[in-house]
Amino acid sequence: MATFIIRRIIWTIPVILLVIFMTFVMMKQIGGNPFRKTERNVPPAIQANLERKFNLDKPWYQQYVYYVKDVATFDLGPSMSQRTRTVNDIIKDGFPKSLKLGLLAFLWAVILGIPLGVLAALKPNSIFDYFAMFFSTIGFALPSFFVATLLIYYVALKWGLVPTNGWPQGFLEFDDRVILPSFALGLFPMAYFARLVRGSMLETMQQDYVRTARAKGLTYRRVVGLHVLRNSLIPAVTATAPLLGLIITGTFIIEIIFSIPGIGRYFINSVFNRDFSVVMGITVLTSLIIIIANLFVDIMYGILDPRTRDVR
Amino acid sequence: MTGKRVLLLVVALFGAFALAAAGCGGGNEESSGGTGSGGGETTPAANQTFTIGWGAEPPSLDPGLATDTTSSNVLLNIMDPLVRLNSDTLEAVPSLAESWDVSSDGKEVTFHLRQDGTWTNGDPVTASDFVYSWKRTLSPELAADYAYQLYGIEGAQEYNACQKNCDALADKVAVSAPDDYTLVVKLTSPQPWFIQQASHHSFLAVNQSAVEQFGDKWTEPQNIVTNGPFKLAKWEHDAEIDLVKNDDWRGAADVSLTSVPGKIIVDGTTRVQAFESGEIDALDGGGLPPDEIARLKETPEYEAYPALGTYYYGFNIKNISDIHERRALSLAVNRQEIIDQIAQADQIPATGMSPQGISGFDTINPNSPWTPAAGDLDQAKDELSQAASPKTDINLFFNDSPGHKEIATAVQAQWKELGINTTLKQQEWAQYLEFLGPPPNDAVDVYRLGWIYDYPDAINGLDLWTCDSGNNNTNFCDKSYDDLVAEARETPDDTARYDIYAQLEDKLFGQDGQLPILPIYWYTYPNLEKLSIKDTFNINPLDQFDLTQVTVKG
Repeated sequence: MATFIIRRIIWTIPVILLVIFMTFVMMKQIGGNPFRKTERNVPPAIQANLERKFNLDKPWYQQYVYYVKDVATFDLGPSMSQRTRTVNDIIKDGFPKSLKLGLLAFLWAVILGIPLGVLAALKPNSIFDYFAMFFSTIGFALPSFFVATLLIYYVALKWGLVPTNGWPQGFLEFDDRVILPSFALGLFPMAYFARLVRGSMLETMQQDYVRTARAKGLTYRRVVGLHVLRNSLIPAVTATAPLLGLIITGTFIIEIIFSIPGIGRYFINSVFNRDFSVVMGITVLTSLIIIIANLFVDIMYGILDPRTRDVR
Repeated sequence: MTGKRVLLLVVALFGAFALAAAGCGGGNEESSGGTGSGGGETTPAANQTFTIGWGAEPPSLDPGLATDTTSSNVLLNIMDPLVRLNSDTLEAVPSLAESWDVSSDGKEVTFHLRQDGTWTNGDPVTASDFVYSWKRTLSPELAADYAYQLYGIEGAQEYNACQKNCDALADKVAVSAPDDYTLVVKLTSPQPWFIQQASHHSFLAVNQSAVEQFGDKWTEPQNIVTNGPFKLAKWEHDAEIDLVKNDDWRGAADVSLTSVPGKIIVDGTTRVQAFESGEIDALDGGGLPPDEIARLKETPEYEAYPALGTYYYGFNIKNISDIHERRALSLAVNRQEIIDQIAQADQIPATGMSPQGISGFDTINPNSPWTPAAGDLDQAKDELSQAASPKTDINLFFNDSPGHKEIATAVQAQWKELGINTTLKQQEWAQYLEFLGPPPNDAVDVYRLGWIYDYPDAINGLDLWTCDSGNNNTNFCDKSYDDLVAEARETPDDTARYDIYAQLEDKLFGQDGQLPILPIYWYTYPNLEKLSIKDTFNINPLDQFDLTQVTVKG
């Protein structure tokens, strides 16, 4: 198991290098001048000063080496559009906020999505089931930005229950401003969990061991609570990694709508501003998160099912 | 939060959700929006707190590095500029400089500074602070985007473009402080607009000791040293920027506001919603979502300020080479309809380059026969018939920000009446700017751009159309035009200079004008402001506001 984990960690390095290379090539390809933000043309002397300052006057392979060096030393350099901040500053300020948003969204998914799925499976074709499946279908179908706008309009503006935007600063600070954004972002994973849990519960209920447990006289409550639920949650656990990717990309738009100072918003702005250093920094960071999440899932697979270890 | 409230929220979330599912967007019933106190009483409120909704995170609060409106407006309220602009006439009025002299040849300006300006660290504000700051902005190491604002100063451009031996060139920048309260600036030519230009944030002083002690981090609230009517109390990046009154400022007795909390809300719709829910008292003039303007215009909190800015379509005159065709295209555009139906924010149909509100407008405006507000289709057809070989398939390029496509579609329909087929081509902003040039791109027949003035003198817009201007993508190049621009730069007398501007406008849009561009409208800054501050909160045509003038009504 240890060699498997070490091997996977070593494999991360070429993956990150490839991510840096792809991002680098794409950023160079889309064109645009990072120092020209308005219709005003940048005078040549000023353009030259700026390019020198940010090493853009060097040949492309040298710039690539700089980026790799930056990533390797965890010093991602200065931002090109926010001249008094470094990429590290931006990540340090924004990442905890995005992480909190993602975790809360996930929490909604778990505390609402799973019970909804369980309820639906216990009483198939009942009114609960229809409600849960209706809910999960629209959860799949409605894009989060639409849900977000609607929530702000009704819950915040019309009914005045919560503020329309904003976010508590500290990682462990919570107030009523976290509710709408995390719900809007959590809706899709919630719907996904509900559907997944319902399906796997229904399947598990058909298993022989469930019938055996019932036959030997265990109460229904005990059978469902102990055996069925535990076994039906495994697919939900394995679905976590891909859902994490969805949550990360989802934060980008939710952060803009709710004015949350996370890194997703920076990422979008930086692409428009051609702020290469910020784009690179955040891409590497999100890649790392996804790589780690996948590694975690693979390790879980390895533990649950030893056969997967031999294949690799 | 109580358990009941949580329950209520969960119910509310499901409720909102059910509405969404039912596909009902909500029957937009009339909400008056304003929870603020209306009424006409003029007594100031006891609580002089004014919450503002900023449209963006200020990218930098370093006057040398700031390039955008948000940073500029924060800076102009926490710093003390040499001069400010009268918000109606745009004339320079004394601020930190109590007076100034201009030499008879117009090339030397002497500012006399007030002696009671102080930095928040207790140091007096002196002329040498300005010498230091301006040279810092020009230094190639700082690589300031807006260093060119200072290019009017003798030796400035040379120093900024310097590659080696820069110290020697720095010494040659002609700004000096013969004593603590006298600042002498030598200009490369008489620049009558220089005094007004000195109100721009690029001309603010920075505190040398703070800059040297904290480096790049000197603008963080715990480090920053300022000298203006307000102090930076808090800056949570991308979330909040709070200003408080500086009681030690020289004019503090006349400042009503005690606290100006600011929320940074980037999304336009969210910003409007925050205003309507009472979380902010005013927006910063950064614009309203185009699809909301029609509704918001009907509310008493709406206000549109005239701007010094021109929204135009540029012609590539190599591709659309016949003047008769350019006249026809201009005549066919119904500017008034575009404003009423699409732009909607009380913009003014543009009849030339230099916008209404610029000094000398009445003299300068060309009274062009080719830019009637409502268009003139018959005359357009007549002109087109005189064109030898008109180009009937035109590519029209614009960027993908909200609103441009709708205007382009309207123009496309209006040109269709002439029998001209227009293909609309939309691009993302940064790509678009690179695509346009310079040098002008041959693939472009017509392109959209705007020009927002840096300072209130018509030269700032007219010199775009010189042969070697970096902003001229039209291929229009007329030696006599360039000569007149050069002559204007050497003419300190306003009346004489406005006459030259009138000749320049005439060369562009007059009876025999070349029409390298088709001006569409002059911008406005549409805004939302609570009635309690609406009278005293004003945005000037350069998109600046002065919080010292604001009083919250009771």
